[in-house]
Amino acid sequence: MKIKRRDFLKVSAAAGAVAVIGGPSLNAFAQTTAPKKKAMGEAAGEWIPSTCQGCTTWCPIEIFVQEGRAVKVRGNQLSKANGGYVCVRGHLLLQQTYDPDRIKTPMKRTNPQKGRGIDPKFVPISWDEAVDTIADKLIELRRNNETHKYLLMRGRYSDHNTILYDNLTKMLGSPNNISHSSICAEVEKMGRFFTEGFWGYSDYDLDKMKYLITWACDPLSSNRQIPNAVTKFQRLLSEGTVVAIDPRMSNTAAKAHEWMPIKPATDGALGVAMAHVILTEGLWNKEFVGDFKDGKNKFRKGREVKEEDFNEKHSYGLVKWWNLELKDKDAAWAAKETGLDRNQIERVARGFAKAAPNCAIWFGPNMQPRGTYSALAMHALNGLVGATDNEGGLVTGMSAPSSSYPKFDAYQDDLAKAGAKNKKIDQRGYKTFPNLASGRPGSGVSANNVANAILAEDPYDIKVAIGYFVNYNFSTMETGRWDKAMAKVPFFVHVVPMVSEMTQFADIVLPSALHHTEDWAIVRSKANLYGHISIQQPVVERMFDVRGAETEFVWLLAEKLRDKGFPNVYDWLHNEYKDPETGKKPTDGLEFAIYATKIRSQKAWDPAENKDYKGDKPSGWEDFRKKGVVNSPRFEFRKKWGTPEEGNFPTATKKFEFYSETLKKALTEHAEKHNTTVDDILTVTNYEARGEKAFVPHYETQLRHGSRTEYPFDLVDMKSRLNREGRSANLTWYHAFKKCDPGDVNFDDVVQINPADAQKLGIKDGDMVKVTSVVGSLTVRARLWEGIRPGTAAKCYGQGHWAYGSVGTKDYAKFEPRGANFNEIMVDDYDRLSGSSARNGGFTGVKITKV
Amino acid sequence: MAKYGMVIDLLKCAGCGACGVGCKTQNNTDDAHDGQTFNWADFCEKIEGKYPNAKYTMYPTLCNHCSDSPCIGACPVSPTAMYKSENGITLHNEERCIGCGMCQQACPYSSNMDDDKAARYSVISMNSHDAEPHARYRNPNELIKGITTSGAEIAKKAGRTPPHRTMHAHPDYNSVRAKEKAEKCIFCEHLVASGQNPYCTQVCPSQARVFGDLDDKNSAVSKLLAENRNSVVVLADNKGKTAKPGSGTQPNVFYIRSFSARK
Repeated sequence: MKIKRRDFLKVSAAAGAVAVIGGPSLNAFAQTTAPKKKAMGEAAGEWIPSTCQGCTTWCPIEIFVQEGRAVKVRGNQLSKANGGYVCVRGHLLLQQTYDPDRIKTPMKRTNPQKGRGIDPKFVPISWDEAVDTIADKLIELRRNNETHKYLLMRGRYSDHNTILYDNLTKMLGSPNNISHSSICAEVEKMGRFFTEGFWGYSDYDLDKMKYLITWACDPLSSNRQIPNAVTKFQRLLSEGTVVAIDPRMSNTAAKAHEWMPIKPATDGALGVAMAHVILTEGLWNKEFVGDFKDGKNKFRKGREVKEEDFNEKHSYGLVKWWNLELKDKDAAWAAKETGLDRNQIERVARGFAKAAPNCAIWFGPNMQPRGTYSALAMHALNGLVGATDNEGGLVTGMSAPSSSYPKFDAYQDDLAKAGAKNKKIDQRGYKTFPNLASGRPGSGVSANNVANAILAEDPYDIKVAIGYFVNYNFSTMETGRWDKAMAKVPFFVHVVPMVSEMTQFADIVLPSALHHTEDWAIVRSKANLYGHISIQQPVVERMFDVRGAETEFVWLLAEKLRDKGFPNVYDWLHNEYKDPETGKKPTDGLEFAIYATKIRSQKAWDPAENKDYKGDKPSGWEDFRKKGVVNSPRFEFRKKWGTPEEGNFPTATKKFEFYSETLKKALTEHAEKHNTTVDDILTVTNYEARGEKAFVPHYETQLRHGSRTEYPFDLVDMKSRLNREGRSANLTWYHAFKKCDPGDVNFDDVVQINPADAQKLGIKDGDMVKVTSVVGSLTVRARLWEGIRPGTAAKCYGQGHWAYGSVGTKDYAKFEPRGANFNEIMVDDYDRLSGSSARNGGFTGVKITKV
Repeated sequence: MAKYGMVIDLLKCAGCGACGVGCKTQNNTDDAHDGQTFNWADFCEKIEGKYPNAKYTMYPTLCNHCSDSPCIGACPVSPTAMYKSENGITLHNEERCIGCGMCQQACPYSSNMDDDKAARYSVISMNSHDAEPHARYRNPNELIKGITTSGAEIAKKAGRTPPHRTMHAHPDYNSVRAKEKAEKCIFCEHLVASGQNPYCTQVCPSQARVFGDLDDKNSAVSKLLAENRNSVVVLADNKGKTAKPGSGTQPNVFYIRSFSARK
């Protein structure tokens, strides 16, 4: 007989004393001696290096292994990017490795019907049967001379994506290697490219910075260097100034000296007004930008300035920018547009400029229709104060050494060469998709448009598709289109560690090794003024017959294709991927994976190649494996500035462009390709600017789906600091600490609403509400929260899975979601200059009603 | 002998959650169930004021290792399962614990979350009387039969329950506590004994946590407390109320400065 705890409490509470104790279950009381002296301490183990890819930071890490099990995670102690720390995501990866719902075997669908909520009726099959079937489908494409109807969709990836995503796709004869980048953060790159010619993400000199503005991003929880930001923010908070611009109180906003809860999509207005303040008050950086020839400031509200009066140094087009956009747009005007306080706008603009050049605007993805121009306005301010490429400012950053992968060209046959020359499936380069990545029209990806293209069969239909570590049926906006598109693709292979929504449409599913604990790969990134190359290697023995997607799967496929009379892929891998140490050719997939890893990192570890390198120099492959990371030397400032006579920025003018000749060139090229004018292109791509204004950072008003009267709230998409991208919902620790996202709660999924709005709608904290946009409705719990701008509603991405594990899904058998995936009700739209999908800026209007 | 305590610098703290999850990986605590959080390290969030002047504070929480520990006084066994170690740590002897829950009831920082809706965390958690801990890794159900693994299978393949169990030894407690037992933060004494910091302190990316000897005037914790005399507070309950140090149960976890830099 046992005394239940609650019974015991009742008894003891009634007696009010411990005297009631007694009875059969209490023999522990007999023990009166002191505890036995047992050993104290942690059991032996080994820290093995790898790389976390739970977000885009790509942190070098170490995993503590006891008895062959992964038990703890920390930052790689040698890493200069994270100082030996991981953020919360790093710890979460243990639950990802030991997820009870991982796939342990290849499988095939037996139900030919495809759709959301339709059970594929998967049955287990062997790797051999699975890959054999895939090879047959690819051979069939070759036989029918339609190899371009093969599509490869890439999600999270390592450097080895070159093999599966790039090279293999071309070897097979398709142009269709589609990355997910354009649903991620490509607009951010537009901001720096069309001002200073840098297509990439920024790094920051946080140690020397005095004034930081985080704008449309939350570096303490996302945006590419989280542990470093968490470590370094404290000095800025103590000694400098931090300003956060965001309609919701993000982690950074919660801690910042100033929070500017801006009206969504009015960032451009704030940007140009800050520039107006800086110019009219004479606070721009004279060393970088130059000055009036007579030294007298002629920037006065409403007055045009003559270009010849200003002597520009490292920048180009300042006066044009003033005349075209800035001259009338002062803080009072911006206050009306942005819903911010005029004094705050002026105070922040001044404070920022006075700290110059040791200051930066750390700006975010800007993934919204017309987002290119808000990103440009944000980064133009970095130029105006001379913070770009400067000490204490923001920089391009360093990269670490890596060697090239072996070439495949000699093995690509004529059929494949011809097939690969077809138009890409995503319609990039169409008149309405300029996609000006790196300034080249039609070069950027439009991942979310692939669903539309598949459904319209424009430019053609897709017959065979492979996706790896990707889940477009959850991660894209207006997700339902993907449910239709994937149901239409006749043969789809999903290479993943976990079954997800996209898997429901698969004909074959292959269980992939987890990158951080089971696979071989190389990853490169940067932070804290250092670049790094970091290893991924198996730290635990694989518990199931899983294979590396980017390497071992390709090997198996190559063998099958060879057996079916197409040996080229096998020959390429077998002949070219030789062990750089022994010259041995790979004989199986695992050897191939290891050799590929060694080849890619050779420049970093081979003493013959790294002897003159100024960064870390491991003594060889084994030493690199043991250390896990090679750090670059520290970034050197002002290399891009050049001289006032000869700039060194890779732009059309070699200068930092406030008037973007680089954008003008790219847009003109796109217009000419379609035999039309730039203004016509701007019209069909939904921008407001016409004429010269299109080439300067300027304010474009919000493009919004849903009228304000019917859909009064601007929907704000937020990201969780616990999101291992979209893959955390099946981890119990995620739910146990969800409240670490300010405003969110543990064990639930909520939409954040300001209490003043909620009161008008009769909504109480915890009520279930229906949130409706022009494309659909979802029901979710309401959280009343003072940290959200009235008129906006914030919802965190990550939950609402209808087919992702026993915890992530409410009822997997019924495909019943846990929480709500607001991607489903966000509209499929684009910042078309970049081809990026819209997700930010409240571009989806919603109405909220009590259920 | 030392008197261990901790100082948490709220301005440094980013509320990032690394200490909370890091603790779970070190101490192999269970998933929440039956109103028990099993988060030895957790968070207490507080929002004051109204938009746009609302001020948000995140207090990282753990056992306060109070000088006047009511959990010890409430423990009905003799000698008590909950006891004060010579080094100031409020320790818990698993063998003597009868799982009665009196300590949880007595602790001002602990609650059964099902009963106390206002509670934001609980220092003490009670293991189930009926089921072994880590039920998820004992569950043999496969999501897709014959295709996905199960909690029980993956734990068996890895060799431990939970599979990521960090093995460590301590005279008073096991690396996973048995059913019918109370459990809570013990300042990672098994690490402290070998000169390491508690794991929450080790993994904090902002180094907001400082662990040390409060009796030693020259220790980092003593210096921080002296330097931050004006801002230092302790938690008064598990709902976000704060108090001056030395009040109530005399907690030995102190919070300095302000989470937000806003005036």
